[in-house]
Amino acid sequence: MIRFEQVGKRYAAGLDALIDVSFEVAAGEMVFVTGHSGAGKSTLLKLLSLVERPSRGQVQVHGVDLARVRRRRVPQVRRGIGMVFQDHRLLMDRSVFDNVALPLVIAGVPRIEAAKRVRAALDKVGLLAREKAEPTTLSAGEQQRVGIARAIVGKPPLIIADEPTGNLDPQLSVGIMQLFAEFAQVGTAVLVASHDLHLIKRMNQRVLVLDHGRLIDDFRPQQATA
Amino acid sequence: MNARRPSRNQRAAAKPAKLPKPPRIGAGARLGSWRDQHLYGLFSSLGRLTARPLATVLTVAVIGIALALPLLLHVVLDNVRAVSGGLREAREITVFLDPKVDAGAAAAMAADLRRRADVAEVTVRTPEQGLAEFRQLSGFAEALDVLESNPLPTVLVVAPASATADAGRDEALVAAIEADARTDLVQYDAAWRRRLSAIMAFGERAALALAALLGLATLLVVGNTVRLDIQGRAEEIAIMQLMGAGNGFVRRPFVYAGLWYGLLGALLAIVAVLGVRIALGGPLDHLIASYGGHVTFRGLAPLAALATVAGGAALGWVGAWIASTHQLGRTA
Repeated sequence: MIRFEQVGKRYAAGLDALIDVSFEVAAGEMVFVTGHSGAGKSTLLKLLSLVERPSRGQVQVHGVDLARVRRRRVPQVRRGIGMVFQDHRLLMDRSVFDNVALPLVIAGVPRIEAAKRVRAALDKVGLLAREKAEPTTLSAGEQQRVGIARAIVGKPPLIIADEPTGNLDPQLSVGIMQLFAEFAQVGTAVLVASHDLHLIKRMNQRVLVLDHGRLIDDFRPQQATA
Repeated sequence: MNARRPSRNQRAAAKPAKLPKPPRIGAGARLGSWRDQHLYGLFSSLGRLTARPLATVLTVAVIGIALALPLLLHVVLDNVRAVSGGLREAREITVFLDPKVDAGAAAAMAADLRRRADVAEVTVRTPEQGLAEFRQLSGFAEALDVLESNPLPTVLVVAPASATADAGRDEALVAAIEADARTDLVQYDAAWRRRLSAIMAFGERAALALAALLGLATLLVVGNTVRLDIQGRAEEIAIMQLMGAGNGFVRRPFVYAGLWYGLLGALLAIVAVLGVRIALGGPLDHLIASYGGHVTFRGLAPLAALATVAGGAALGWVGAWIASTHQLGRTA
């Protein structure tokens, strides 16, 4: 599903965010990316969503070499990726339903079909009753779950999450991570950047460890899902 | 993504797809979704405009005034043209005969003129007819009664034959009449009429130039409004782009907003023109009444109003499209 081959990313200031990073992630696999802040976790995710382009090496998603994706085709690649952000990035002036429906509206899914999928996604994250609510009336954990519903509503083969539990208490965090693990179990590749080592340990999934831009460990627990 | 249907997702994930393309939709549904997306753009943009009523009203007012000015000038010119049209068409030559020429000689001269190829018609107006007319129109009836004899000469009104206003031929006729010994004075206002035509043409050209300038102003007003709107919605746009929205999708609500600005501005301009007509009502009616029954005020023609609305909407659309394309090119 994802394949990094000797990927390097140097920003204009001369800072090396990633150096010679190689790994693969299969469909249905849940992988944590961890490391100190500034280790390159966010950069790694940004290469997948084509927010940034690598300075060297190759990034493949679903067999597509992202270096060959032209600017006009970037939106199409992004529609195949569900993204979850630390600050959830919801549209505060739209209802929960409209927020979750956004990827489907963008993809041009017919309205009736879209409404069905939105309700299924909201049901999945346990917020079906709040579909008409404004995001500002929700708790932080609920807002993050709306963000997750939005990421999964288009049934993308890949979900990437950047510190999705950064603002949540430990109990809520475990609930969110278990949701991600469920998606992986049904065949979605899930990549989660997190520095919460305690939580990562508890989830018992594969972990990529970054340090100053280098991949220093690729730890697979024995009972990892494949 | 539903846990109750895991097999479907596994199948989808196992397929060797070229590009990750989540929803597959048929041609009919695609057309439906295209319509949905445009309806979405049309109404979400209207929603945005009504969410900030003051800013919207100000923008629409500026556009309305900018469009009202050339429209007003158009209406004024239209009326001047209608009033002056009769004058420009009237090419009669008025010949005042020498007072010594009597009725018989006048009739003979009229007969001479009628035989000419370049004369269509000659009307003889005797001094008595002239006096009666003068008495009626001027209100000098009592003063005229004091006069011992009729001071008015016989007048011949000559209509040139040429259907079109051929100035050269008419002037040859005028010269021939002037050369006649029985003629005292020839009144022929060709120069004045040509000047009027030139003034009208100048006015029409000026109206076009003004319309072009103020149309450009409309374009800039809409463009700048949309540019600020896009800057204010940078976060929302960034989110949409991360969700896979292309430039067309992001641009659509802004372009529709531009359309609304232009459309509402044009409607306001039409209302403004009607308002000016009402404001000028009294004096204008007096002016029209002074011309007698043969002049009527010509308001804004329905076709011109329609063209204004269409033009305003088009200007708004284009202005917003240029601004949003430029602005998105900077942020992408």
